[in-house]
Amino acid sequence: MAFNFNWSPLIADTVRAREMLTTALNKSPKPPIIVDDIIVTELNLGKQPPDLEILEIGDLAEDRFRGIFKMSYGGDAFLTLKTRVQANPLNTYLSTRPDFASPQPLAAASGLTIPLQITLSEFRLSGFVILVFSKQKGLTLVFRNDPLESLKVSSTFDSIPFVRDYLQRVIEEQLRVLFMEDLPAILHRLSLRLWSPDYCDPSDPIIPRKEDETIPIDPLASPLQEPVDWLETVFGDDSIPSTSMDNRSEPHATFSQKSLQHLSTLNDSQRTLALATPSIREVVFRAWAVVSDRSSGIQTPHAPILSRASSAYGSGSSTYSMVSGAGSEASRPTLSTASSYTYSRSGGRQRKPKRRVIDLRKKKDEAVKEDDAITNSSTPEPTIAPSSAPSVMLESISEEGPKSPRSLNFELSPTAPVTVHASGSKARVPKVETEETAQPPPAYTPPDTDVHDFTKPTFTEKPRRPLHLKTTSTGSIPLLRSLSADRLTFSPEGPGSSGGILEQAWLRKMAREIKRRVDEERLRA
Amino acid sequence: MLDFMDYIQQAFYHSSRWNIDNSYSGLNATAQSILEFPIPKGLRLNVSSLGTPHFSSSYTISLAGTSAGPVTGQLSYLYSSLPLTVPSRSSTIPLSAIVRGYRHLRPLRAPDNPRDWEVWHRGRRVDERDTLLYGRIFLPTSRLEALWLRRTTPTQMLQVRGVSDASLPNGGSLLGVVHNDHGKYSTEYLFSSDSALLGARTLYNVGHDPRQKQDDSSEELMPTRAGTTAASTAPPSLFSMGVEVYYGLLNKSGGMSTGLRFTTLPAYLAFPYTMTLTLNPLMGNLSSTYAVKAGKYLALSSRFDFNFYSYESGVLVGCELWRLRKRAPLERINDAVKTSETPPSATMEDFVNPAMDKAAEEEQAGGGLLRSLGHGFPSQAPADEDVVGVLKARVDQDWKIGLLWEGRFKELLCSVGASLDLKRREKIFAGVGLEVQYSN
Repeated sequence: MAFNFNWSPLIADTVRAREMLTTALNKSPKPPIIVDDIIVTELNLGKQPPDLEILEIGDLAEDRFRGIFKMSYGGDAFLTLKTRVQANPLNTYLSTRPDFASPQPLAAASGLTIPLQITLSEFRLSGFVILVFSKQKGLTLVFRNDPLESLKVSSTFDSIPFVRDYLQRVIEEQLRVLFMEDLPAILHRLSLRLWSPDYCDPSDPIIPRKEDETIPIDPLASPLQEPVDWLETVFGDDSIPSTSMDNRSEPHATFSQKSLQHLSTLNDSQRTLALATPSIREVVFRAWAVVSDRSSGIQTPHAPILSRASSAYGSGSSTYSMVSGAGSEASRPTLSTASSYTYSRSGGRQRKPKRRVIDLRKKKDEAVKEDDAITNSSTPEPTIAPSSAPSVMLESISEEGPKSPRSLNFELSPTAPVTVHASGSKARVPKVETEETAQPPPAYTPPDTDVHDFTKPTFTEKPRRPLHLKTTSTGSIPLLRSLSADRLTFSPEGPGSSGGILEQAWLRKMAREIKRRVDEERLRA
Repeated sequence: MLDFMDYIQQAFYHSSRWNIDNSYSGLNATAQSILEFPIPKGLRLNVSSLGTPHFSSSYTISLAGTSAGPVTGQLSYLYSSLPLTVPSRSSTIPLSAIVRGYRHLRPLRAPDNPRDWEVWHRGRRVDERDTLLYGRIFLPTSRLEALWLRRTTPTQMLQVRGVSDASLPNGGSLLGVVHNDHGKYSTEYLFSSDSALLGARTLYNVGHDPRQKQDDSSEELMPTRAGTTAASTAPPSLFSMGVEVYYGLLNKSGGMSTGLRFTTLPAYLAFPYTMTLTLNPLMGNLSSTYAVKAGKYLALSSRFDFNFYSYESGVLVGCELWRLRKRAPLERINDAVKTSETPPSATMEDFVNPAMDKAAEEEQAGGGLLRSLGHGFPSQAPADEDVVGVLKARVDQDWKIGLLWEGRFKELLCSVGASLDLKRREKIFAGVGLEVQYSN
């Protein structure tokens, strides 16, 4: 996979970029030594694009991307700024002090403004970049090390060696800080503005404030050097993220503020003791698409599974997800997903249980779904295990995946009466895919179709795995949200018990194994 | 308009016989008061009182006036070991004392003999030096300002000022100043804890040294009667020169400036005027001002700045107009009769302004404050009870206009100001403000 930079349009027209930079530089309050606005007079991106080399790609989807690159730049881009500075140090010093305790000189603090022009050129950058992109959460770009190797600063004070060296030193220092700390934040905000038109944060300053007393360095110089997104589309100057609110319409689906509001309300209700779970209508879930591949007859698929926290972990734990190549997707749910379960389990009250289905077993008769109750009842112990248990469980179970795919039905039921009756009351079970989902769950919010979780986590948590995500009552291991034993009152009534002996046995075996692993983990920890 | 606390502080200076004009920082005082008057922003309400001659308090509330928030307030308290008997009611405070206008400088005065300040009682010295303590707190920013002032000797004053605020580096700073005033020359040495700034200022008055022939020269200079001043011996003008130097030890920043001033003294018979020239050689700034009192009620001033490194220049022109209420002719005659008959009281050796005397005697006894703060010529000063208000205006070369009206309105002292910027068509009114002061 190679990167093909179409670098020439960037050289051609930089007027827009310059204006944007100028506005961005002058937004935040300037140090008192700078008297006038900072104007970008020249911005030239050079002829040579940066070299990008892919080291790892951890996550790749239509709307997600995560990768590590090695970036090096040795081109001849340069940037020129023009401003006016105050030459009287007493003036700048006294202007920031209250009048009462200042010596109030008569004329010793009168000002002298000197025009100043600074040119930053001969950038030499080399470093490792971790780039995470998702449609919903924007772009995050982090440098693993300090990428700035050298830089040349030339100004109108070049004839005074003391000032020249001072400027060089200070600007280099500031640029290093900029790359490591400010740049990711700025890019993230910019990407959100570009790709999420509903993301409104007008009070968000583009440039973070700087405390230094020297000329602030434009933080937006470098990102323009690699304005290529993961789809290899080249950013012309017009499409460089603008700070205005009128984002162009995107061809991809974007989240409206309303949806996000719904989702956040849902999440809040999950994390608090709210009794009502808000419902979101007319939403399609990614998991449905996957499920529909393999199981027919799904009528009202329910949304799974993962809480928002899982998505946070999913995207934040880039290291986890980039563990290895494609194999990881099949075999192992990442720790992030595991931790998401942890997180979501800690909520522990009434909500629709989540279900994550990893098919580690050969397909069974799908009609035998009524054994949910039984399967639930059969595995009470492991779920009382400490919170690391589910992660262990997941891993252990998933490890068996390639060997003997079994379909496991992880059911996170929050409340005791996992009266997931055999009648298929996915009571509070938002199943990923289930054949018997015809009945609406009794206890909770009426519509089954309602989504409880965000598509976001779904996306990040479940990469395209060749897993058989299928709910079958056989082989489902419920993961109870709460650790109290009260929750374990299963009502194994139901007609499904007859056919589930084998499943029960298998489940017991699984439970024993899980318990063993949990103990191992505990010993290790 | 002076704040009430500043007014009281001026009264302290005066009562303790300290000449605030004889300092390098006051070189441009006249031009600054006519040209650089502060225009209030937003609405400001001040209630103050001089509860006892030793204690004064003041409370202020500002709406939309500062950047610290929509509503801000200040509380301040002042204690003086010297009893201050000045008119403090807002209905009786003479406007000439509280509105800064053309400053008439007095001729040089020899400082008191230190022995005069000694008070002996039963063979022991029991005199104490005059001290002033002042504190102010701003809300809601919680900034605290404090001042301690002490008149140690007739020629020396110590001052320590402190500001404490969480937003300042090191939480605040302290400034200590030692003022020495020997009549012919004065020096000040200061040290600020913030960046260890050291400073020194000095002012030298050319001419006759008032310390010579001390026994009889002071009496000669003091006019015994209105209009019959010993004008032959009083100098008509005063020429002063001064220099200031600052150096910050921690941040290696410094500065210096020099200045000249030529002013006419009350003995001058034509229109009084003041000229100053200030130069900052390091930055190349040159500033010259000219202020003239063109009539009984009118003062004009102009300032020209020039920088010979950057060729930046500026002009500022301002005027001050005293408005009197119309009086019936009969009243005028009565006043004239009264003023000619009243013998001037001479609690201090300052020159006497009979019109001001009358006002002073009517309110409270003592305090040559009014006389010294008031206008120069006996014949030219309006009686203070006639003054309705003062109008000030200034214009600079960029057509930025500042207007201010200060006056008394139904026992309240008010000042209304506006600043305009004629070059910006879309926002001509840059700021409007009203300040109301009530004191008791």
